[in-house]
Amino acid sequence: MTHASKLLELSRISKRYGPLLALDDVDFDVMPGEVHVLFGENGAGKSTMINVITGNVGPDGGSYRLLGNEVRTMTPQEARRRGIAAVFQEFSLVPDLTVLENLFLGRERRIAGLLKRAEMRREADAFIAKLGFNLPLDRLVVDLPRAQRQLLEVAKALFEEARILILDEPTASLTDTDADRLFDLLFEMKRDGVGIVYVSHRMREIRLLADRVTVLRGGRKVATVAGADVSEAQLVEMMVGRPVGDLYPAIAHKPGKPLLEIEKLSSVDGRVRDVSLAVREGEIVGLAGLVGCGKGEIGRLVFGLDPISGGSVRVKGKPVARFSPRALLRRGVCYFPADRATDGLAPNRPIRENASAAALDLKRFGGGGWLRRRAENSKVREVFERLGVRPLRLEQTVLQFSGGNRQKVMLARGLMREIQIFLFDEPTVGIDVGAKAEIYQLMRDLAEGGAAILLISSELPEILNLSHRIYVMHEGEIVTHLEGEQRTEAQVLSGFFGKNRTKAAA
Amino acid sequence: MSLAEPSLPRRAFTTRLNGFLANGGIVLLLILLIAVVTAIIQPRFLNQQNILNVLRNTAILSIISMGQMLVMIVGGFDLSVGVIVAFASIETALVMSALLQWMPEMQFLAVVLAVAIALASGAAIGMVNGVLVARLSLSPFMVTLAMSSVIAGATFYVTKGIPVYGMPEFFTHGVGRSFLLGVPTVVVVGLLVVLTTIAVQRLTRFGRHVYAVGSNPVASRQSGIPVDAVLVATYAISGLTAAITGILLTARIGSGQSTLGGTFVLESIAAAVVGGVSLLGGSGRAERVLLGALFLSLVSNSMNLMRIDSKFQTLVLGAVLLAALCFELLLRGRRKYG
Amino acid sequence: MAEAVITRQGLRWTHIDFLQRILPTLLMFAGFAFYEPAVASTSNLWNIALQTSYLALFTLGQVVVLLTAGLDLSIGLTVSYASVVSALAMMQFSDEPGLAVLVFIATSVGVGVLIGGFNGFFVAVLDINPFVVTLASFNILLALSSTITDGFPVSGFPPLLGSALVNSAVAGIPIPIVIIGVLFAATAVLLNRSVFGRSLYLIGSNRRMAFAAGINVRLHLLGAYILCSSLAAVGAALLTARAGSGEPNIGGSLALETIAAAVIGGARLRGGEGGVLSALAGALFVTVLSNGMNLARIDGYVQQLCIGAIIVLSLIADRLSHRTSRTS
Repeated sequence: MTHASKLLELSRISKRYGPLLALDDVDFDVMPGEVHVLFGENGAGKSTMINVITGNVGPDGGSYRLLGNEVRTMTPQEARRRGIAAVFQEFSLVPDLTVLENLFLGRERRIAGLLKRAEMRREADAFIAKLGFNLPLDRLVVDLPRAQRQLLEVAKALFEEARILILDEPTASLTDTDADRLFDLLFEMKRDGVGIVYVSHRMREIRLLADRVTVLRGGRKVATVAGADVSEAQLVEMMVGRPVGDLYPAIAHKPGKPLLEIEKLSSVDGRVRDVSLAVREGEIVGLAGLVGCGKGEIGRLVFGLDPISGGSVRVKGKPVARFSPRALLRRGVCYFPADRATDGLAPNRPIRENASAAALDLKRFGGGGWLRRRAENSKVREVFERLGVRPLRLEQTVLQFSGGNRQKVMLARGLMREIQIFLFDEPTVGIDVGAKAEIYQLMRDLAEGGAAILLISSELPEILNLSHRIYVMHEGEIVTHLEGEQRTEAQVLSGFFGKNRTKAAA
Repeated sequence: MSLAEPSLPRRAFTTRLNGFLANGGIVLLLILLIAVVTAIIQPRFLNQQNILNVLRNTAILSIISMGQMLVMIVGGFDLSVGVIVAFASIETALVMSALLQWMPEMQFLAVVLAVAIALASGAAIGMVNGVLVARLSLSPFMVTLAMSSVIAGATFYVTKGIPVYGMPEFFTHGVGRSFLLGVPTVVVVGLLVVLTTIAVQRLTRFGRHVYAVGSNPVASRQSGIPVDAVLVATYAISGLTAAITGILLTARIGSGQSTLGGTFVLESIAAAVVGGVSLLGGSGRAERVLLGALFLSLVSNSMNLMRIDSKFQTLVLGAVLLAALCFELLLRGRRKYG
Repeated sequence: MAEAVITRQGLRWTHIDFLQRILPTLLMFAGFAFYEPAVASTSNLWNIALQTSYLALFTLGQVVVLLTAGLDLSIGLTVSYASVVSALAMMQFSDEPGLAVLVFIATSVGVGVLIGGFNGFFVAVLDINPFVVTLASFNILLALSSTITDGFPVSGFPPLLGSALVNSAVAGIPIPIVIIGVLFAATAVLLNRSVFGRSLYLIGSNRRMAFAAGINVRLHLLGAYILCSSLAAVGAALLTARAGSGEPNIGGSLALETIAAAVIGGARLRGGEGGVLSALAGALFVTVLSNGMNLARIDGYVQQLCIGAIIVLSLIADRLSHRTSRTS
């Protein structure tokens, strides 16, 4: 009955990764000519859902119907053949190939087994012109800035002539002009009857595009509501699972002397230019900006993970001469990287070893010679208890824990030794609400105990609700500094796009 | 875009220099240098016989290096190429001599059949490697190392290390020592293999998919590329090119030998690395690997002419490999994703 | 099921795991002994013990670098080169046997430190793929050890060497086994109880994490390669003393054997896992296998074939068991 009219119908989909239930009995469908928004926090299951639809991940249970037909196993090739195209957040681009080659990847035009290079180029030229994107066809993707990679990823999906188009945060690093162009294209496709699955956090886009919104939380579907008659507060509350006020603790602001002062800092790769900022004792300073604007890079530069081309950093008033994690840890600075998997954790080692890794040079744990296992055990246990790591099994490997606990294991590094300056880079990506609240509590305790905290985050509510002061970055520079009543969503957002430059006073 | 602007004027020069050096310019310069120096010190270098020798060796090495290169582009290594050479060698000889005893007057058919069987088994061994690497995501290094042990054991068990004779002159002279249009047949075959590989890399979908899989397997899968099939195919091709090498060597020597091919693992990897194939996968061009093979053959020929102990030559080979890696390291800095 | 998996993972590298890993060896041993009773004779048991301990020592060196997510293909040629060079050095002092033995041991270890430093420099400091680095040094050492002696053994050792390093015994246990046992204990303590050992595991599990945690990655990696080659060099000295001559071919196929033993014993190529017990369990397996096949008069080439096949099978089994434990 209704089956025939639905383009896509997923019912009771479940997917488990080790200890993590990524999707739990979720229903989802798409009608022709509608935009169906998937809404939820990072880690709520949106990406898994998209991966199931596009055949990258096989679900453990549930049924998958495409145009009313049951699909047993979906593969990426099959999905593309049947008219499903996707814009992935992590980009499905191959860095060592050119823009042109990427555009045709997996659907190269051929005659007698040979590539039709001239025809593909003509086709691509015409298509890019039609889209109105600025994309150099012969550049290697590895040499493209992030904004152009994003455009290419979008172009690649639109190139499909798809019946179902999936977009995962497609505007995350686009300029306003490019984003508006994209929305025009999406409206055109809607008119042609294409079903669109759209993942975004941005209310402006949800307002503009959404016919329906499905909210996910912790791998479960909370509700599907009509886009027209739902307020932002309602959506956020559904996403978080509790009134927003409860999530963010009130944090007293009693700033003392500056503990971290950054002066005209630039990176070798040019992603950060002449950035100056300061964080004082007892305050949380937010650093906001679009994905790829360079905000996370600042933490990496200060902590010595990436090379600096100019500028200076002062810790507790004294200049830093040697930028290395070891030297900075000893000065009381700890940076928690955004990407737990690459920089944050040793996956197949026990959580005990992960927690104490940054404190092995201390006398009390061994001081470079023999380990003092008993001291290590008791301190790690104490820190994990404070952070609420559950279950408290010190000898289990990181792989056996869920995202929230993994994050806590990483944060434990900063509590194993005397640290006064904490740099949190996207501290709540991919973790559940409970863990999130606990991490916010921790930040409050640290700040009220006199620590200086730099909170680098792409989650706007986090920045707005926790920070005492906010810096906004745009294309590698700080464009706005907001204090007191100025700290509004509108002010931060306009900074995202490089408008509303206040001369940043540090 | 705007991020790169400030440093543009400085980049122009270094980019051009880097570009020339990175695209095989330095190997070309070194080849010329070695050729000139050797010719001055040892005029015998320019003898027709010696030049043909260098070309033959280059051809043989570049054939096996084509397969190794493809495997390295998809991010692996093939350590089994050496034993596949030996395996193909004794297989060719055994099958050929057996067929000849059975049907002595059908020389041509015997040769064709033996060669076809050797090629097929080389490709089949490669396929087994590829399936283990692709489907079970086992380490290519371990798989091909263990496979080497298996194949070498089998090869030596069958022959007890004794050369296998009994191949028709038509094969040993016809393929091994003959000339086509004034060029040694081996060189013609080598050129064909290299040209085919160049064509595959530039003109075919498979060639492009090999780069894609090596550069970013996840994105490749998402883009609908059959990643596993591409992996299996590259390992199969590597087995195939190793088998071709084994057959050509067998024809040249005139007997099937289980000790052939020992140095080819190192040499093929060295030719690829000298030819700019990245150990990280995703890049590498056949024409540059050909240059790498020519370079290595020249170095070894030059050392032979200067009467440097052949055992000592592997030291030079190892040193060249390390030097090439350090050079790649210098260029690597600017090429990072994200 | 889930609980069992957790317990097993929680007690990783304890004796339970070790027993699990040597169970196949015991079964295999029983099989060989049934087929050929000589396998279980006292003299053969001593033989197995001795062979296992040599292989275990080399495997231990391999495990040290494997757990940093590296590997050492040059380990066999390190043994050959150390054997030849230390023998040549000792011959310079043939008038004074006591000094000669000391020179012999010192040279061997010194060669190990140098080779480990060479490999470690390229791998740790320059960050070049360990596989290709050690493949290159394999060939360099091959050239050196065969040209230095023209491929001939260096013989004419003072008898004192044999009585010191081969024939003496402590409490009835042959001296090589004692020395190797001490090295095992020392390495076990180093890996499990020192900051150095801890750092190696963390570096192997995630090099970038270790760096971000303030661990001196380059220095520790360099140390791992030096330790690996030094252990190999001590083994070389013991083997050379037993052979009575410096042998350029003594290291032979040790790279394959040690990597196979380590992997069978539970070390992983991707790093962060493995320990002294995996070296021991793996070496025991490989030794019992080849000893049994020898006594069962199985052709040496078939043995080589079997070892290759067993490596592949153990890799597959390992992969499959990990798959099921992840999805169950």
